[in-house]
Amino acid sequence: MTAFITSTGRFLPGPAIGVDEVEDVLGLVEGKPSRLKRRILKSNGIETRHYAIDRTGRTTHSNTDMGVAAAEACLEESPLEAEDIGMLACATSQGDLPLPGFGSMVQGKLGIPSVELLSAHGICSSGTMALKAAYNTLRLGDQDTALVVSSELSSRMLKHTRYEAAGGHERMDFQTEFLRWMLSDGAGAMLLESKPRGRCLRIDWMRSFSHADAFPVCMQIGSPVDREDSRTWQDFPTYGEAEAAGALLIRQDLRLLENIVKLGVDGALRLIEEGTLDIQQISHFLCHYSSHHFKGKVYDMLEMAGALIPEDKWYTNLYTRGNTGCASIFIMLDEFLRDGRAAIGETILCMVPESGRFNTAYMHLTLVEA
Amino acid sequence: MTQTAALDRPDVLTPLGQETLRRLMRSWFDFERRLGKVPILRRLDNGTFTREDHLALLRNLRPQVVEGARWIARCASSFDRDHADVRSLVIGHAQDEHRDYEVLERDYVALGGEISDIQSRPRNIGTEALHGYLMHRASQPNPVDLLGAMWIIEGIGDKMANNWADQIEELSKCGPEATRFIRYHGENDDSHLDKLYGMLDRTATTPERADAIVKTSKVVARLYALQLEEIDHV
Repeated sequence: MTAFITSTGRFLPGPAIGVDEVEDVLGLVEGKPSRLKRRILKSNGIETRHYAIDRTGRTTHSNTDMGVAAAEACLEESPLEAEDIGMLACATSQGDLPLPGFGSMVQGKLGIPSVELLSAHGICSSGTMALKAAYNTLRLGDQDTALVVSSELSSRMLKHTRYEAAGGHERMDFQTEFLRWMLSDGAGAMLLESKPRGRCLRIDWMRSFSHADAFPVCMQIGSPVDREDSRTWQDFPTYGEAEAAGALLIRQDLRLLENIVKLGVDGALRLIEEGTLDIQQISHFLCHYSSHHFKGKVYDMLEMAGALIPEDKWYTNLYTRGNTGCASIFIMLDEFLRDGRAAIGETILCMVPESGRFNTAYMHLTLVEA
Repeated sequence: MTQTAALDRPDVLTPLGQETLRRLMRSWFDFERRLGKVPILRRLDNGTFTREDHLALLRNLRPQVVEGARWIARCASSFDRDHADVRSLVIGHAQDEHRDYEVLERDYVALGGEISDIQSRPRNIGTEALHGYLMHRASQPNPVDLLGAMWIIEGIGDKMANNWADQIEELSKCGPEATRFIRYHGENDDSHLDKLYGMLDRTATTPERADAIVKTSKVVARLYALQLEEIDHV
């Protein structure tokens, strides 16, 4: 038994925001421009991105709104209606409400009746967790259709007021600023069916490897900036005190970040060794990260080991759509398909590395025609 | 006269060489994850590593560094005439590293440790196991599997220099005069790697030899981690 991705959709809020406008939207912390901005923006190479907040910091689209818009775009291309959906699997790193789950909010607005529901929580890989749960539900025969929605609204956490409340420039360093210039908003959706329909993607396999047992947290919200303080955000008497301690800032430990490349390679080598993955027959490689992050020694070793996917097979829209966390691979696959880059019979390998506490997901697809 | 030309970096590895390299990479990544769970290194990751930890690390690394030159020299002498090219390379390697421990001792003193403390410290129980295994393998005829040991030990030198050194300096509040040993192996990495590729095609010539190389890499990785788990357990 397998499942097929019979439609995809995406939603990116507002106009494309160029590098020079990023700080106009997110705002100047204490009225002063960031000193680290240029360096971080240059290294991540993102040219345009989208935000669901306007220049006054007001939210223009909720996370639920964006997820629903992507789902509607996905359903629009399919003869199926919302009422036909058997399972709704949703992912985000931050819902509009901490409770209930994000899936409930998306279902409410989409108006799907009596659906089997799943809300996956995590960071970049939560979208593939939701997708795999939907894929398995179809494989088991419990449902014939599943809608998978992955959406992120990071910009609300990146507003200048957040940093001011946590002590302003004095408290900001590379770790606290890195993601401010990296993340942006957007949503993607996929419709899964147990039978192929028209030109669609067969899911050949999905696998993931998590390494939280061996690594500390690398990307997080919840711990105060002071490493000696072992409390997490809800341990503070008030949320105000947690915010003042920097516990609500989204941060990245850059020293640990390089492990993401090695672990991405490690997972691929495991799949090669067990015979699941054959690098030679991959037609397209869609990765949340671009090839330049893999340059260096590991790249050289992969080349020598015959395990490198040639650069002309790599595809990413990270530079024009931004890093939208768990929505990225959905937005990427949608654009890739709409651009007509794949031919019938070609294979697509998707890789989603999550730096939170190191989880890497892989998905192998084949373009088929029913 | 040199016979090392055959051991230069090849343009393409043989299919068996490629497969063996992929397995060695997996072995290395497993090792790195295991190191992530070793208490003294976990403290390095979470920022609670102290000057005392730095002293303990050097104290516990020294015996293996002293013995390192011995197993490499033993390994060289175990290669027969059909492996003269490999032997040349291993002899060169032994020559390069046989006094590394002196750098390590100077770091210990620069950090405020007593030279007599580090010199009198016996091998910890992990080092005993590591050294015993390496000497055992090095005593076998044509011990090509020790390429797997070199893979791990060269890798750890590179990791020390590139991942540990800055963090150690910051957390143990010392200057570069106390991290010379830790930093030392970060240089010449690329040439080491090129030699290793050459050695791989030269030594992984049958599936059995390839299996032996990978297995030795795994055993050495496990015992190296044990050495770091058993800090000061002598």
